[in-house]
Amino acid sequence: MDMDFAPEDLAFQKEVRAFLDDKLDARLREGAASTPSVFTEPDITREWQAILAEKGWLATSWPVEDGGPGWTPTQKYIFEKECAIAGAPSLPILGLRLVGPVICHFGTPEQKARFLPRIISGEDYWCQGYSEPGAGSDLAAVKTRAERVGDKYVVNGSKIWTTHAHHANWIFALVRTDPSVQKQRGISFLLIPMEQPGVSVSPIITMANDHEVNATFFDNAETPADNLIGEEGQGWTIAKFLLENERGGSCAAPALLAKLDRIERWAREEASGTNGSMIHDPNISQRLARLRLEAQAFEVTELRILAELAKGRPAGPQTSLVKLTSSNLRQAIDELAVDLFGYDGLQLPVTRPLYGNEAPEYVGSRAAQLSMPAYLNGRAYTIFGGSDEVQKTIIAKQVLGL
Amino acid sequence: MNFDLDENQELFKAAVERFCQGQDVAARRAARALPGGIDRARWKELAELGLIGLAAGEADGGMDGSHGDLAVVAQALGHAQAVEPWLECGFLPARLLAGSAHLEGVISGDTIAAFAFAEPGRRFVLEASGVKAKAGKLSGTKQFVLGGGAADVFVVTAEEDGKTGLYVVDAKAAEVEVRPYPVADGGVAAIVTFHDAAAEGPLTADLAAVIDEARLMAAAEMTGIAQRLFADTLEYLKTREQFGQPLGRFQVLQHRMVDAYARVESIQSAILRALLQPAAPMAAIKAHVAENAIWVGHQAVQLHGGMGMSDELGIGHGLKRIVLLSKLFGDPASDILDYARAA
Repeated sequence: MDMDFAPEDLAFQKEVRAFLDDKLDARLREGAASTPSVFTEPDITREWQAILAEKGWLATSWPVEDGGPGWTPTQKYIFEKECAIAGAPSLPILGLRLVGPVICHFGTPEQKARFLPRIISGEDYWCQGYSEPGAGSDLAAVKTRAERVGDKYVVNGSKIWTTHAHHANWIFALVRTDPSVQKQRGISFLLIPMEQPGVSVSPIITMANDHEVNATFFDNAETPADNLIGEEGQGWTIAKFLLENERGGSCAAPALLAKLDRIERWAREEASGTNGSMIHDPNISQRLARLRLEAQAFEVTELRILAELAKGRPAGPQTSLVKLTSSNLRQAIDELAVDLFGYDGLQLPVTRPLYGNEAPEYVGSRAAQLSMPAYLNGRAYTIFGGSDEVQKTIIAKQVLGL
Repeated sequence: MNFDLDENQELFKAAVERFCQGQDVAARRAARALPGGIDRARWKELAELGLIGLAAGEADGGMDGSHGDLAVVAQALGHAQAVEPWLECGFLPARLLAGSAHLEGVISGDTIAAFAFAEPGRRFVLEASGVKAKAGKLSGTKQFVLGGGAADVFVVTAEEDGKTGLYVVDAKAAEVEVRPYPVADGGVAAIVTFHDAAAEGPLTADLAAVIDEARLMAAAEMTGIAQRLFADTLEYLKTREQFGQPLGRFQVLQHRMVDAYARVESIQSAILRALLQPAAPMAAIKAHVAENAIWVGHQAVQLHGGMGMSDELGIGHGLKRIVLLSKLFGDPASDILDYARAA
């Protein structure tokens, strides 16, 4: 038993580090570090995406024939870990990680040729139409209707929490094509262009003052029938594939540990007002220690999953805990950051972005200014992509057999 | 033994409820968008109801309300999710300015006063050292001055001859530099720098005693907000349907709500203890209230799902106000540590 990477993986790690040192400039690092919302804004991600696309390191979860780099699970892990440690921006995952793999797996050769290169080039920016006002945790209750009329679908209904719909030119949506059958069976997976009169987007501002999500409305919106992925009625299977794809191998712990390192650094600089720096504060230092122990253990859980995948075995049942554990850890870490900064942690900037020349003045430090909006937006981690409550019910049934 | 509100307290509570009627998210947002974040007409209305004068002594033209009267007002304002900073710009100046000529304008609502106590790099320390008083003039910088963007006068803690005293400074004086910035509850705070600014004082109020009273009021307001968030979430779980039934039918959510209920009752009792037991440890009680209110706030967001995250609902507004109040004059961790050390 050991926890070491093989020599060829260490060589790859060195290559990734050298690449990140070279390509990740100050603007990209600042943009990534100073984004308090869940997703980084396109002005930053597009730039980073272009750099990775040129290197061939962008669509890391796609098959080689569709433009993936052909990495082993270990190489994928190492790349993500190094990116997290270096503070690289996140990528537009809705295209690259969600709809991309679906098109790779279920798409026709024509669909692959039409959509995949444009995801890599950044020409297409995708958003996701899953939740609806009446279908949140109960996703199978979607009502948005798509009717086949000749060689196209006509779509009516509304989607909610559509992340970056205000930036996107395409949406992949779960739509009801057959209202007459049992609810999962009537759902299809449809690609719909956003730039048409039948689609409108209205912003939903978060309690942190960020515009990240929207409500998206379809009023006789149209999409060619060959934008259906798979068969009619196969939408639920595809949605499940997408979720499983999301859970096949993860690398969340390194980013959490990197954030804890930053908090420790800030604690050394933050005055307690009485006793030197906040690193000596018993509450802050104990919470920091506990969270670090938990994140380090979580890192090994992810490595245990990776070790299975690397041997070509299916991921173990611990995979089901990844989202639950990382969301809760992240929230506890964000709360710690707010508490570290005392009164400075209570500032809540109204305007965005918080990087570059347009950023509003901060009180104390930029890190202090970011702490409150990051904490508030982070409350969503235990809600989206399957709430904690839904996750636990699934784990209880499927993993524990209860 | 009797825990009922008395007749006057019922009247204060009803006055607050009437004052806040129809103050939805949109109205609150409009008020916050005004320069300084305070709607002066509404502020005047609040004052005319006697709710600021209630905190001032009779000798100063106030109504000399009891702690119980004042806590009822704070809790009702919290429950109604009032946008007016009664605690920061009403209660505190009314107490701190006892005996000062400025109090009349504060009681009438014509003067908005803000309390400048926090100093950069000094966290929750209440003894002043960054602002010095000398020969009737103040120099130095304060931050986190709540209501500071709208203030006509500042009540300032400053060091003179090694002691912390209270001073009054005209906010519009040329020697006073005010830099407003937005804070978590949607309000406007300010960094205020005094450049040899003319000051009256020191005032006679007992600073430590007023801070303790303010902690009690903050705890009462947090309790009111937590009760409101609990009630709204309970209602939501009874009406929102998923998987073909109201969310409230799911056992895990039932148990969560019972936990929330137990916490809400615990903090209501803690407030009553603070009011009725002489020499109750106010900072520690505020910490107990804060930790439980934050937990209730987090659950209210979680159980509302995506809607709880949006600024369109009062849920997030409530959580943000609780978080801000939880750190006023010390955060729960520091207050509990002090309490443990004193015991």
